[in-house]
Amino acid sequence: MDHAAATPLDPEVQRSMLPYYDKCFFNPSAPYAPARSARADLEAARARLGRVLGSRAGNITLTAGATEANNLAFAAVDGQVVADAIEHDSVLACVNARGGTVVGVDSAGFVSPEAVREAVGPLTELVSIELANGEIGTIQPIRKIAGVVNEERVRRLECGDPRPLLLHVDASQAAGQVSINVSTLGADLMTLSAAKIYGPKQVGLLWHADGVALRPLVLGGGQEGGLRSGTENVAGAVGFAHALEIAEQMRTQEAKRLRGLSGRLRSGLSKRLEGVVFSGPANTKNRLPGLVHASFLGVEARRLVIALERRNVLVGTGSACAASKMRVSHVLTAIGMDESVAQGSLRMTMGRLTSAEDVDVALEAIVACVTEERERVGWRNI
Amino acid sequence: MSELVYVGMSGGVDSALAAALLVEQGYDVRGIYMRNWSRDLPGFSCPWADDLADAERVACTLGIDLQVWDYEREYQKTVVDYLVDAYAHGYTPNPDVMCNQTIKFGTFAQRAFAEGADYISTGHYACVEPACYEGNVPHLLRSANEHKDQTYFLWRVPGSMFARTLFPVGNIATKDEVRRMCAERGLGVENKPDSDGICFVGPVGLRTFLLDALERRAGDVVEWETGEVLGRHDGAFLFTVGQRRGLDLGGGPARYVVSTDTTSNVVYVTADKNCPALWTTTLVLDDVCWIAGSSPEPGRYLVRTRHTGTLREARVQLGADGRTNVVFDAPIQAVAPGQSVVVYDGRECLGGGIAAKETNGAIRE
Repeated sequence: MDHAAATPLDPEVQRSMLPYYDKCFFNPSAPYAPARSARADLEAARARLGRVLGSRAGNITLTAGATEANNLAFAAVDGQVVADAIEHDSVLACVNARGGTVVGVDSAGFVSPEAVREAVGPLTELVSIELANGEIGTIQPIRKIAGVVNEERVRRLECGDPRPLLLHVDASQAAGQVSINVSTLGADLMTLSAAKIYGPKQVGLLWHADGVALRPLVLGGGQEGGLRSGTENVAGAVGFAHALEIAEQMRTQEAKRLRGLSGRLRSGLSKRLEGVVFSGPANTKNRLPGLVHASFLGVEARRLVIALERRNVLVGTGSACAASKMRVSHVLTAIGMDESVAQGSLRMTMGRLTSAEDVDVALEAIVACVTEERERVGWRNI
Repeated sequence: MSELVYVGMSGGVDSALAAALLVEQGYDVRGIYMRNWSRDLPGFSCPWADDLADAERVACTLGIDLQVWDYEREYQKTVVDYLVDAYAHGYTPNPDVMCNQTIKFGTFAQRAFAEGADYISTGHYACVEPACYEGNVPHLLRSANEHKDQTYFLWRVPGSMFARTLFPVGNIATKDEVRRMCAERGLGVENKPDSDGICFVGPVGLRTFLLDALERRAGDVVEWETGEVLGRHDGAFLFTVGQRRGLDLGGGPARYVVSTDTTSNVVYVTADKNCPALWTTTLVLDDVCWIAGSSPEPGRYLVRTRHTGTLREARVQLGADGRTNVVFDAPIQAVAPGQSVVVYDGRECLGGGIAAKETNGAIRE
C-alpha cells in the first residue's frame, strides 16, 4: 500500500532490459558495430519516450532519477526561482539553496495561479510546480499557472527584457495516472521518474522545450549532448521507455480502477472509524486516483506503521525523506494541518498489483490497529 | 496501582530485554527513545531512525508506549563539545561517562521523575544492592557478566540515583542469554550487533570525527629518548598515549606514542616497549566523584583504567597536594590523561576520578 514510494519492476520491462547487461553490454560511444547497435537502441528508447510525451527525442535528457532531473532543471537558470510549499524535497532544497520564493497552498494543497502571479517578479527565471503531489495527491492547475507565467513572458518581450522565464513541472508522481503530454501541459521543463511507473530505479529524465538551454551538472565525456556526462545506462533507458509506454497505454483504465479502490478504502475507513481526517482535494478529478491520505486522531503514525507491518500491511507516512527525519511533513504543515492531527497521518497508495481483496485486508488491519491503539492510549472522540 | 517505570529504549538488544522484563515483572512501563544525535559523518550515516523504528517495534510487541525525547542540544553541549575540547587539550576522555552523568541519569531521569515515574531503567550491565542502613545510598555492583560490565561508565552518577534505578539485565550471565531471551519474546532485535565504541562516531572512527571538528595542524614527531625529529604529524590532538598505528614515519621499528603536547603541537614517541614513560605506578586523579558521597578510607582497592580492563589491586590514598593518588604494586601501562580511573571494593563500584596529565612520568622537561 505504498506504491508512491516505489513500484515493482514490470516483468516485461525487466525482460526488455536484460540483454543490455550481458549480450549487448557495449559502451554506446565505442566505434565498432555492436556498440553502434547499443547506441541505436539507446536513441530508439529516447525516441519512444519522446513519442509518449509528445516531444522530439532531442529534447529529452536522461538522468539518474527524478532528483537529478529536478536539480538539472534549476541549473538552467541563474536568477530568482519560485516554487510552492508542497514540492518534493529535491525541488525545495534547490529553491532554498538559492534563497528563492516559496508560494503557499490552500488547505487542499492547491497552488493558486494568483499566488504565482504575485510571487513572480521581474527577476524571476524559473517557476517549479509539481503536477501531482505524492503525499496528499493534489493535481495542480498547471495550464492556468502556465498562463500566468506566459503573461510575464509576454510583458518582458514587449518591454525588451531578454531575461528568460521557465516553468518546470515535476511529474514523477503523476505519470501513469495523469496525462503527461508536454504539448498540452504548457511547461518548459518536465521531470519524470522510471521508478514510480514500474521501471528501474535511478532512471529519470528531464524534458525541455525547444529553445531552452540546459547547463550540465555532471561534467566529463560529453554524453547526453554534453548535459549529463557518464556512460549511458542503456538498459535503464530501454526499460524506462518500455515502462512509460505500458503506463501510458494502461493509464485511463488503471486510473479508473485505482479510483474505485481508493474510494473503497476511503469509504470503508470513514464508515468503520470515528475521528478520521482525509486530506487532499475533495473532488476525485483533482486527486491522484490511487492515493488516500488519512489522519487518525489520537494515534501516532510511527506506531501505526509498525503495528500494520506486523499484519503485513506496508504503508508510508508521506514522503519517505521527511519520515526518516521524524519531522511533521512539510506538506501537512503547508496545508495548515494541526500538529496533533498530522502526527497520526498515513499515506496509502495503491498500484497495479493492488486488488480489491488487498484493499479489504488493509482496511481490516487499519481499523483493527487504530482501534487497538486508541484503546491503549484511552482516546475518546470529542 | 503498579509502579511506573520510564525505560530508556535505544532500539538495541539490552534495553529491549530490559523493557520486556519490566513488563513481565508487573511494572507499568513507558518507553523513551532519547534522540541524542542524528548527524551523519563523512562515510557514516547515523542509523538513529532505524534504531527508533526498532524501539517502536519492541514497544509495539510489548504493548507499551514509546515517546521520543529530544536531547540533541544537551548532548552536543555536555558530551560532544566536552569530547572535542578535551581532545584539543591533549586528553582522551570517555564520552559515555559524560552521557550517563548528564543525559541518562541527568536530564532524562529528572524529567521522568517530574512526570511521576517511580523508577527509571536502562539496559546497562550493572547491579544495585539496597543500602543496609536507611538513609544511606545504595551500592552499585558489577554485573553478573564480567565481560559486559558497564559500571566503568557509571562512576559519575550520583549514588542517590540508584535508589530509583532498575537494571533488569544486570543479573544475566551472558550476552547470548540476553539474545536468546529477546528471541524467545519475539522482540525482533536479537540479531542486532553490539554497539561498542562511541555511538555517534560509528565505524569511521574518532579520527574522522575529530578532523570534522578541529583543524589539522602540522607538527613534529619527536623521539622521546633523543629529542630527534623523526617525522611530521597532522595534529597532536589526534594521538593518544600508547597508540602505535597512524604514525607515518616511513618504516623503521614500530613506535609508540609516549605523550602529546597540544600546546607546542609535538607528539613524543619511542621504539622501546620498556621505555619508562610508557609505564606508571602512580595515577593522579582529578575531578573525583564517589557514589557514596564521600571518598573511601585510604587503603587497598581494585582499580580499573579502561572499560572491562583488568581489575588490579592498588592503594588509594590522598597525595600531599590533597589530590587522590592510586599507587600500583607494579608498573602498569601508562594511562592516557582524561581516561576514567574507577575504584572497586570487591564487586562494588565506589567511584573514581579522571587521570591527570601528571599521571605518567612522561612529560619531558
